[in-house]
Amino acid sequence: MSFIPGQPVTAVVQRIEILKLRDGDNLILGFSIGGGIDQDPSQNPFSEDKADKGIYVTRVSEGGPAEVAGLRVGDKIMQVNGWDMTMVTHDQARKRLTKKKEDVVRLLISRKSLEEVVRQSMMQR
Amino acid sequence: MFCRNQTSRATVARGSALEMEIRRGKFRQSVFMETPQDSDIQKKIDYEIRMREGACKLLAACSQRDQALEASKSLLTCNARIMAYMSELQRMKEAQVMQRVARRSSDAGPMDDRSPCKGKVAISDLRIPLMWKDTEYFKNKGELHRCAVFCLLQLGGEIFDTDMVMVDRTLTDICFDNTIVFNEAAPGFELRVELYSCCSEDDCSAGSTPRKLASKLSSSLGRSAGKKMRASLEPGACSPTSNGGGATILLPVPSVPGPKYHLLAHTTLNLSHVQDSFRTHDLTITGNEECSYWLPLYGSVCCRLAAQPHCMTQQMMSGCLRVKLGGEPQGWTNVYGVLKGTNLFCYHQKEDMEANVEPVLTIGINKETRIRAAEKDPQSKAQNICITNQYGGEEVTHTLSADSREDTQRWMEAFWQQFYDMSQWRQCCDDLMKIELPSPRKPAIVTPKQGSLYHEMVIDTSDDIGTVTDILTRRMEEFELRTQLGSPPHWMSLFEEDPPRSPLNHQRLPPRSPSPHLHGRPPRSPRLLSSNASLTSDSDSPSSISPCFRQAWSPDSSSSLSSRFRPRTLSLDAKLSTLRGRGYGGYRCSCQPPVAGSVSPRPAQTGLSCSSSTSSSSSSEGSNSQESELGFSRPSNARRSLRNLRAKLDPRNWLQSQV
Repeated sequence: MSFIPGQPVTAVVQRIEILKLRDGDNLILGFSIGGGIDQDPSQNPFSEDKADKGIYVTRVSEGGPAEVAGLRVGDKIMQVNGWDMTMVTHDQARKRLTKKKEDVVRLLISRKSLEEVVRQSMMQR
Repeated sequence: MFCRNQTSRATVARGSALEMEIRRGKFRQSVFMETPQDSDIQKKIDYEIRMREGACKLLAACSQRDQALEASKSLLTCNARIMAYMSELQRMKEAQVMQRVARRSSDAGPMDDRSPCKGKVAISDLRIPLMWKDTEYFKNKGELHRCAVFCLLQLGGEIFDTDMVMVDRTLTDICFDNTIVFNEAAPGFELRVELYSCCSEDDCSAGSTPRKLASKLSSSLGRSAGKKMRASLEPGACSPTSNGGGATILLPVPSVPGPKYHLLAHTTLNLSHVQDSFRTHDLTITGNEECSYWLPLYGSVCCRLAAQPHCMTQQMMSGCLRVKLGGEPQGWTNVYGVLKGTNLFCYHQKEDMEANVEPVLTIGINKETRIRAAEKDPQSKAQNICITNQYGGEEVTHTLSADSREDTQRWMEAFWQQFYDMSQWRQCCDDLMKIELPSPRKPAIVTPKQGSLYHEMVIDTSDDIGTVTDILTRRMEEFELRTQLGSPPHWMSLFEEDPPRSPLNHQRLPPRSPSPHLHGRPPRSPRLLSSNASLTSDSDSPSSISPCFRQAWSPDSSSSLSSRFRPRTLSLDAKLSTLRGRGYGGYRCSCQPPVAGSVSPRPAQTGLSCSSSTSSSSSSEGSNSQESELGFSRPSNARRSLRNLRAKLDPRNWLQSQV
């Protein structure tokens, strides 16, 4: 999903709604993220374009709220509850996901396989 | 101004003739001072003054720009240290006076409150991202605008500087690889990070203004003026500049020609910024685009700030105890208890603890623990101490008893102190953060220009085949990693010494004995091999991207594969050079036994053994790089030690956070 700076980004996205799980004082979502504009993008094993500084899902804990909602490892998070996640630092991303007042996060994620599916279905016509 | 009575304290006015005489060593400072701490600081001041004089002389004498920059940097650091020591000295004198005043007026003053334990604070892997714009290209056409930068870190009275880094348009971040450890830090510490930069092109000449200013200020200051000066010297407000600007100069500053550093940005970190992983902090940028020392900073700094309070690393209390489990009336066991960190370890006997035997019982002492002194047991003389913890949903109570009243009192005091320390150090007491002591400097390979690998890969006609085959070999290795094929592509047979076999052949012996063929052609191969050694050692350096990428990608086979990287490169090139010598000039090669140089593979092999061991340890963790917990669960011991290894290998990990 490479993009040209200055041009609008088009991507095939899926909506995922994750209900946070309460564990004592903490609300957990059950996945880990990596990436950010302050991180080194070439170390991202999930991105296609090694200059992509977006936020990627690096780990999904089994049976957790994220897995139940349909999040998969390698997904790129585009938006969280309406906030953009393509141009944020790692810490900003983490904060947007872990707001204590929000019980549910609605993510827009993009995945390579989704694009494949769309392309396949378009080709079949 | 002062009396010669030794029991009274003497005020030595700054910049006065007396001070000059003292500095020149005519009088021992101890004649006027009495406390040992004063003389301690005085010794440090003297040392720094001598260093400063040396730096000035060096600055005046050196001709090369690099040397001048280094000397100027040490000059600035010495100045900063002198300021800090002098302000501390002044503070101590003030405290002494206050004490005397309090004693004289028989005013007891406030009782000493419990003071928290000190700790070690370490900052490492500073990285400051840059944000070059197109205008940079147009402003500096032709030549590369370079700046020399370094960081000055100040905590309490300790000041350290990082190494100097040359920055130009080709860099995206300023990275300082040093780990700086401050040893005695209170929980309320303020770590001031200052970034100094100096333009590396023009020769800045010192004007005569600094001298005049300095001489004006060097006249003696009264006590109130000195207090004001000291207030301006408080950590966080002072930015020592060696060009004499501002009112912070108290000593006559020798104005030296040479490069001058200017403060470019600063920030202050404290306990709330401490975390066991990398974090990003905001920088306050001073200076603007017009300055010669300007660099386009993104506005933040990434670093790892870790703290180890002494309550976590040292034994706070130890002694003999008796433990009763649960509610049994009769089950008293004699143990040797050691309070350290978040646990009270109970060993059978003291020797067990020294022998690192597992403790019989470990009682957690953390924020949720409740400790109280129980009613007096009619059988024993002393009170019992009850420690209650919540394990899961259950409450577990351990009852302890010391031998005597005083012991009980001392244990309770130790527990209270531990709780107080934990409340002061907050998140540092959840888990022990690893701090690495900076290892003794290894002679690093100094590259003349800080550029990418392309700058260093000199491709001239005689080395043509060597470098191209290097590129090919590296590409091939990455290709293997990506696909993990069972059989190599057909062109790989060119690079095999033996008949082609599976790339995932494990446990190939790295050390290769020099083959007798080498002796036949000594003049050519050593030169080629040495150039290869330098190239491979470049890829050895942790700052290159590809090894890290490899580690992230292939968790299982990286150890075996990385152990195969370097020998193949060397033998390949040696082989091709022999072919060129025979006049073949092509890639077709006959299978020959590997020709390994006797000299160069050995350093590569020692590097090899290091890298294979480290990559195997990193490969055991899979593709997870550092994770930061958000207070959700405590990482197990195994993960902690793995994390230490990871942190050691790859200081600029790709950060992952659990949400």
